[in-house]
Amino acid sequence: MLEILIHGAVSSAIYAMLAVGFTLIFGVARVLNLAHGSFYALGAYGAYYFTSHLHMPLLPAALLAIGLVALFGVFVEKVLVRPMRRSQLAVLMITLAVALVVEQALFLTFGSEYRNVPEFVSRKFTIGGVDVGGQRLLALGVSVVLIGLLWLFIQRTRLGSAILAVSQDPEAASYMGIPSDRIFSIVMALSAALAAAAGVLAGPFLTVQPTMWLLPIVKAFAIVIVGGLGSIPGSILAALMLGYAETIVGYTISTSWTEIVSVAATLLMLVFRPAGMFGKRAAF
Amino acid sequence: MMKKLSVLFSAVCVAAGIAATPATAQTKPILIGVPTSMQLQVGRDTQDAIKMAVDDINAKGGVLGRKLEMVVADETENPETGISAIKKLTADEKVDVLIGGYTSGVTLAQLPHISRAKTIYLGVGAASPSITAKVKQDYDDYKYIFRVGPLNSAIQAGQLTDFISNFVKGELGISKIAIVGENAKWVQDLVPLLKKGATAAGADVRVTEMFDAQTSDFSPLFSKVKDSGAQYMVVILSHASSDVFAKQWYDARFPMPYGGIDVKSMDGDFCKRIGGKSIGELAVNFATRAPLTPKTIPFWDEFVKRTSRQPVYTAFGANDAVYIYAQAVERAKTTNADAVIKELEKTNYVGIPGIIQFDATHDVKPGSATYKGPALIFAQWRENCDREVIYPKTMRTAEFVYPPWIKK
Repeated sequence: MLEILIHGAVSSAIYAMLAVGFTLIFGVARVLNLAHGSFYALGAYGAYYFTSHLHMPLLPAALLAIGLVALFGVFVEKVLVRPMRRSQLAVLMITLAVALVVEQALFLTFGSEYRNVPEFVSRKFTIGGVDVGGQRLLALGVSVVLIGLLWLFIQRTRLGSAILAVSQDPEAASYMGIPSDRIFSIVMALSAALAAAAGVLAGPFLTVQPTMWLLPIVKAFAIVIVGGLGSIPGSILAALMLGYAETIVGYTISTSWTEIVSVAATLLMLVFRPAGMFGKRAAF
Repeated sequence: MMKKLSVLFSAVCVAAGIAATPATAQTKPILIGVPTSMQLQVGRDTQDAIKMAVDDINAKGGVLGRKLEMVVADETENPETGISAIKKLTADEKVDVLIGGYTSGVTLAQLPHISRAKTIYLGVGAASPSITAKVKQDYDDYKYIFRVGPLNSAIQAGQLTDFISNFVKGELGISKIAIVGENAKWVQDLVPLLKKGATAAGADVRVTEMFDAQTSDFSPLFSKVKDSGAQYMVVILSHASSDVFAKQWYDARFPMPYGGIDVKSMDGDFCKRIGGKSIGELAVNFATRAPLTPKTIPFWDEFVKRTSRQPVYTAFGANDAVYIYAQAVERAKTTNADAVIKELEKTNYVGIPGIIQFDATHDVKPGSATYKGPALIFAQWRENCDREVIYPKTMRTAEFVYPPWIKK
């Protein structure tokens, strides 16, 4: 029971970091970013490259990877997405193209083999008789802190208020003198940085190889559909639900059944409540 | 006069041209088509090992006075691409022989196309028994198919059962085991045989758990295995993320050792690339740097010298396959497929993992107590990511050591 509680929390934390960024950029800029999983992959590969090829210490390597991915996010938003933002379909296509290009670039640079991202904490912790790897606990802790900071940033700062204003009504916000284009770039950078942080934190105990972007995007998608596209509390709650549902299925039925949980949840939600739990309107 | 001369000159040229034709046909190279997963180590090793054999044979004058040449096509791990690779090699490049393969599903999809192209295929990567079963079912259409390596999964199950009975139970004194395998065709073929064999050998199989190759979190699986009361975990992994499996096993300091067939753990850099977390794992290899035959160590060292990496199992089969084919062509005195097949069936070649002979289904014969054919070798990852042979006992280079967090 305690095992489910701990491992479920770790899965939920990683999912929440992925889903919050994904839903943020949708909520603010109405960009359904299929390249979100690529930010996760690039974060992990960045940490791998800087530590194993450039022999940098782990913390600077991780921060540098996250920073570079945030810049890449800004590039994607400014150069590729912005000219097409009027068409949802065009945005979907261009972000999918980015995801595929990133996958192929990783493939050509690093080959298809699994890579190792070093861990921050290698020792094991025993909590109430349950053995948990230190890196997992770290991922859980950092995720809670980062999402908390993001929440404070949005609720308490001027820039945060501007982000909220743009998400409510971009046109009215721009009449108030809020530069919505710059807000979009900032939000994209935040979203990419969160995904990259998830990659750096989960890389040491999960898979690092070129197709690793796909599963996170499927999960992020499922979470935001269940939680309601654009709603941060919704996606945090849905991430918890999905993380725990998968862990419970894994423990009580079989690990081969875990992957179906997210797909089934998406399908049921789209049929019965297309707006999701916290969404104001159907996303599609 | 000039005109006459030029006519004469042309005639001489034409005659020389005609005369030269058979001569160039004689010197036309023998083409070896290599369908493999080029991006994986299994694929890179296949190519490098073939190149080594080709260079060696060419340096000694080639085969029937003809040079050998290699043409590669990427079959990836996808059956559709695999079929295109065979079509490219047989229809466009018109190769004389195919040497390669890795994923059983891809090889099975390629078989009808290989048969239609009437081109000899020497498999060096795929383990499903269904591949060579075709030769028995329909000899005339599928006689082109041979497997130089690895041992098919049914034989692997048998040898794994012996390992459980002789080593896990016999030497470690553990009878409660768990069997954990990925959901793949060859594993689904193997697990029932293994479970039956292990139970017959007196082992108590506490739990059998299959998981999806995409699985990224093994905690629930580990928990089940632990709760079952098992004390040894037997694994069968090839396409799944062995890396993640080993990392999570180590991170949780999982309280039991594991070992079995773990294809990615055959990679020379496996232990290093996961930060040494596989130390303690006992994994099957088809060859290792030990004097299995007079060829094993020289090949191993030459391969490391040329590529700066340790060879995986496809390298042994690929290198042997070139020599086996070359010798069959020499004996047949032609590259005609039917004649070469007759000679290939008589193969008795001292290869890298053991003596290579083919059975009636063109599958490589496994080694036994009395026959030095290829056999499974269980090597343990040790400190500094070195490997030591633990089983079979006749080849043991060091005693088994428990991972440091397991008290015995």
